[in-house]
Amino acid sequence: MTVLTVIKREFLSYRTSLIFYVVAGAFLFLAAISFYADLTLSLTVKPIRPDAIPSFFALGMIFFAPVMTMRTLAEEKREGTMELLLTAPITDTALVLGKFMSIWLYFTALLFSTLTYQYILLGFGQTQDMGQAMTAYMGMWLYGGASLAVGMLYSATTENQIVAAFLCSTTLLFLYLGNLVGEVVPSLELALILNELSFQGHYANTFALGVVRLEDIVYFVGVIAIALFISIRLVQGQRVN
Amino acid sequence: MIHAKHLTKTYGNFIAVQNATFTVQTGEVVGLLGPNGAGKTTIMRMLTGFTPPSAGQVLIGDFDLARDPLDARQLIGYLPERVPLYTDLTVLEYLHYWAELRGMTNRKQRTARVHAILDEVQLGDKKRHLVRHLSKGMRQRLGIAQALVHQPRVIILDEPTIGIDPHQVIEVRQTVRELRNQHAVLFSTHILTEAEQVCDRLIILNRGQIIAQGTPSELRQRVQAGGAVYVETRERLSATEWQSLLAPIPHIRSVQTERNGVHLIMDGLDCRDAISTTIQSANLTLIELSSHSLTLEDVFVALTSSQGTPRP
Repeated sequence: MTVLTVIKREFLSYRTSLIFYVVAGAFLFLAAISFYADLTLSLTVKPIRPDAIPSFFALGMIFFAPVMTMRTLAEEKREGTMELLLTAPITDTALVLGKFMSIWLYFTALLFSTLTYQYILLGFGQTQDMGQAMTAYMGMWLYGGASLAVGMLYSATTENQIVAAFLCSTTLLFLYLGNLVGEVVPSLELALILNELSFQGHYANTFALGVVRLEDIVYFVGVIAIALFISIRLVQGQRVN
Repeated sequence: MIHAKHLTKTYGNFIAVQNATFTVQTGEVVGLLGPNGAGKTTIMRMLTGFTPPSAGQVLIGDFDLARDPLDARQLIGYLPERVPLYTDLTVLEYLHYWAELRGMTNRKQRTARVHAILDEVQLGDKKRHLVRHLSKGMRQRLGIAQALVHQPRVIILDEPTIGIDPHQVIEVRQTVRELRNQHAVLFSTHILTEAEQVCDRLIILNRGQIIAQGTPSELRQRVQAGGAVYVETRERLSATEWQSLLAPIPHIRSVQTERNGVHLIMDGLDCRDAISTTIQSANLTLIELSSHSLTLEDVFVALTSSQGTPRP
């Protein structure tokens, strides 16, 4: 119940937060550009890519996730409300889960609103693999959740939102490029390890191509669980200090 | 309602609070008094569960704060020193949030309670305003409202009158006094007159230790001073000169310059004869030597001065 209360409060604050309108605007604008570019190319050069929009957000999350998550816990510390939260009858787990679920729900709403483009394509009579499109969306939903969980972890480490955003962005950049580094290292074993560790390694060659593998789902869910677990421990640690 | 047993908090080698034991019962307002850094906020944070004690035990009602933290915290309303606000919510949303978080899940009852508390703190006409648009005094009152909204049995207020105008200070003091009827209230303040007006009992802290506790009159008796004396000479003396002049007189517990003279707290014996003789021997002209009964301020100074006296 307290998780729901936290989610409700977070959504109320999005309503008056300029940054969330900016994020939504940028998100939808870039999705439109990505759709338009792919549609234009599909007329002459290549067939339409069902994963074009969700795959674009694999790169986009490097910028969107830090902006969306930097305030979640850092602001509570900076404004002093964390002291009241930690003395209220709510567990640290419910607090972190509530904050994470609200931001993931917000991301979900943004991501799935771009499904409109898939229906526009159908309206134009474009034939495409809707199964692949839906798989790509599912993969990006998990990818986004993992990116947001990493952002929350950094928000729990500091009360400086800029520092939290920078650390999150850097980490997501490494997790995005990890599989590319894997392609240029001489050792096959090392390349495989880097590919397995990166976000893209579990998205670009599987979900984006219409392949659903249990190991990829476990990977993203695992990243979310580990990042949230560390966030909860960091919040608990604030009681000791 | 509050039972603090041998509370100790250490940060490395620094002892912030040492062996603090006290109780606060329903129906009383207890004041926590002490100079800056005495450990008041640390004690309040241990009582609310924000900071776990290094040693000792806190019981809130029948619940051990360490073993049943959620049940214990359910009974507490807390206003930290820095009023915690969500400036992006309206006044109404802010109070609904804290009420719901503290277990008031029935929307109808919660709404009734939120409106009642808003009227109590005179913010009823601001309920649809964003918190960021409230004045400092209104924010302070909203902070008090969030501590009371779920009708807790224990109320802990960390310096609730700081930063608000005199009219609002009077209102807050009145509110706190009225709370004693149904609650156990622990109230920290630097303002001694406020403590005397509001509190039934006082706990005086110094350097992390409780050095005295009791009603204001009990504390006065405890100091057992010969009273307080104001001395003024025609010649203006500095604080250092006063201290060296009066150093040979035993039983003077505290020397503080005040107006054109000096305010002395005497320990046990009436030293006015000795003071008069000393001044005359120093060829100074005595123009006032008046005694008065101890104020709470005198008691506080006497108790919190190093080893009972700030004299060199």
